Amino acid sequence: MTRVPVVVGVGLTPFAANRVDASIRDLVAEAVLACMEDAGLLDLKAVQHGLASYESDHFNRQMTLGAILHDALGLTPLPNVRVEGGGATGALALRTAWAYVQSGLCESILVYGGEMNGRSVSSATANGLFALSADADWEMMVGGTYTAFYAAMMRAHMQRYGTTEAQCAHVAVRNRRNARLNSFAQKPMDLTIDDVLRSKPVAEPYKLLDCSLLSDGAAAVLLATEDWARAHGTRFRERPPVYYCATGCGTDTMRLGDRYPEITNFRGKRAAAQAAYAMAGIGEPLLEIDVAELYDSYSGVEIQAVEDLGFVPAGQGGAAVASGIFDADGYLPVNTSGGLLGRGAPVGATGIAQAVEIVQQLWGELPAGRQVANARRGLTDTHAGIGTICVVNIFERRD
Amino acid sequence: MTTVLSKRDVLTVSAPLQRTPDPWADFRQIEIVTLELTQQYAHSLGKTSRFFLELEARRFFATRCDGCGRTYSPPRSLCPDCLKITQWVELAGTGTVEAYSIMHFASGINDDVKQVELPGVFAYVLMDGASTLFPHWLRCEPARAHIGMRVRVAYTQAEHVQHPIHLMYFEEA
Ligand SMILES: [Zn+2]
Repeated sequence: MTRVPVVVGVGLTPFAANRVDASIRDLVAEAVLACMEDAGLLDLKAVQHGLASYESDHFNRQMTLGAILHDALGLTPLPNVRVEGGGATGALALRTAWAYVQSGLCESILVYGGEMNGRSVSSATANGLFALSADADWEMMVGGTYTAFYAAMMRAHMQRYGTTEAQCAHVAVRNRRNARLNSFAQKPMDLTIDDVLRSKPVAEPYKLLDCSLLSDGAAAVLLATEDWARAHGTRFRERPPVYYCATGCGTDTMRLGDRYPEITNFRGKRAAAQAAYAMAGIGEPLLEIDVAELYDSYSGVEIQAVEDLGFVPAGQGGAAVASGIFDADGYLPVNTSGGLLGRGAPVGATGIAQAVEIVQQLWGELPAGRQVANARRGLTDTHAGIGTICVVNIFERRD
Repeated sequence: MTTVLSKRDVLTVSAPLQRTPDPWADFRQIEIVTLELTQQYAHSLGKTSRFFLELEARRFFATRCDGCGRTYSPPRSLCPDCLKITQWVELAGTGTVEAYSIMHFASGINDDVKQVELPGVFAYVLMDGASTLFPHWLRCEPARAHIGMRVRVAYTQAEHVQHPIHLMYFEEA
């Protein structure tokens, strides 16, 4: 009997710039209640393990938040573990849960996470707190920000491959347009390429509309063995089974400069993708993946990602994106949720929410225009830092 | 009535999901308080301390690994490729811009950064004799910045800096 985990249920809160009505524990509870309802799970205490996903003690202004969330959900005295992996936290949380189920440590595990990255602090404070996740002795003290690190990478990509700001802008326009079909998205917008190009410069070549959002939000996914899912998830039997069939992880140096001369792309992402493809038996990702959620922390990062995930050769990401093959009606739709640019990015929830979108795509439960026809295999791409920790997760519908 | 000093706002909020009936109807009055968190650390710069001390004497140091011949700038005390302990070497302080961004906002993480003139060029420089890129501010007209630009380490004329990394910056060579 396979122990490859299935998805029993998923839950999200809307992502918002400022959820003044809720604390982090309120948000996570909201996502978990939605996940229980989605799973048709009558008793949360039937779950065998908890897994808390969040990045920052500073944004949430709470240490040991995992214990607080676990308690708020009434999951004590069940075992619990907290997973942190910078921007990749949510995807690394799922990968950890995958291993917990595969190892036989538990038959079911609730992955819940969130973050208060929104307006509870000023954007200057937010930038300063995120800079703490750069090398604190070198880059942070110089005054660099993540926007600048990403921007310098993209400048090098442009120099080497001729990638353009208009190609980056295509991503910003498309993902925010996709967000218009997602009622849980923070920033649905109807933009033109020119709107993006003319927006206020932040760290050139990135302008305001090339940058992803600071969000409050939470997400939850219940994973289990198929036997457990059949026994406890009353809705599991009604849906095509979706397996969390493969996971890959790769890393790179903390500082961009230590990667020289390879500074245009994400080596760790290539390693993560190769590992996940090997596990899933995928040889030609562009042909064998039907839908993907990519980590568009900045517009150009999606261009780098389609190269490093092997969808197109290195250097051709810009032209490929601009050709429309990754648009909602294209050959391989990406970021149908709106991505980090349109849906939002509460860090501890981001990677989980990407998986939620993919699972809903595979179940075929999304509204017209957002639903990808006959989606059977989907991928999430999530990373920390500037590709410092990269996680690729693959989900597959098997019916 | 006792005044609550941290009280910032009291609001009645609507349900973000617009469910009817609102399951949280009894929980829609919200109080927001102001909290602060500041700390001071005695932070060791550890085995890279010499780099910062040499900057005070206007010398620019890196570390070199005898195992693979790579020279780390910024310095690394342990070569990550060979796991060998590196050695200090002085560099000429000249180099070439390999990547950069023109920043219109900075993090304001310390008083030195608050004084950086914006827009400013944040540059990754391959120092002559080094194998890795050194990130710092390049003080020049932003429009002049380009990949391949020759630059050199300059030392601040300021009476004081808060963090020793700001004893230096880059200027056009
Ligand atoms: Zn070495």
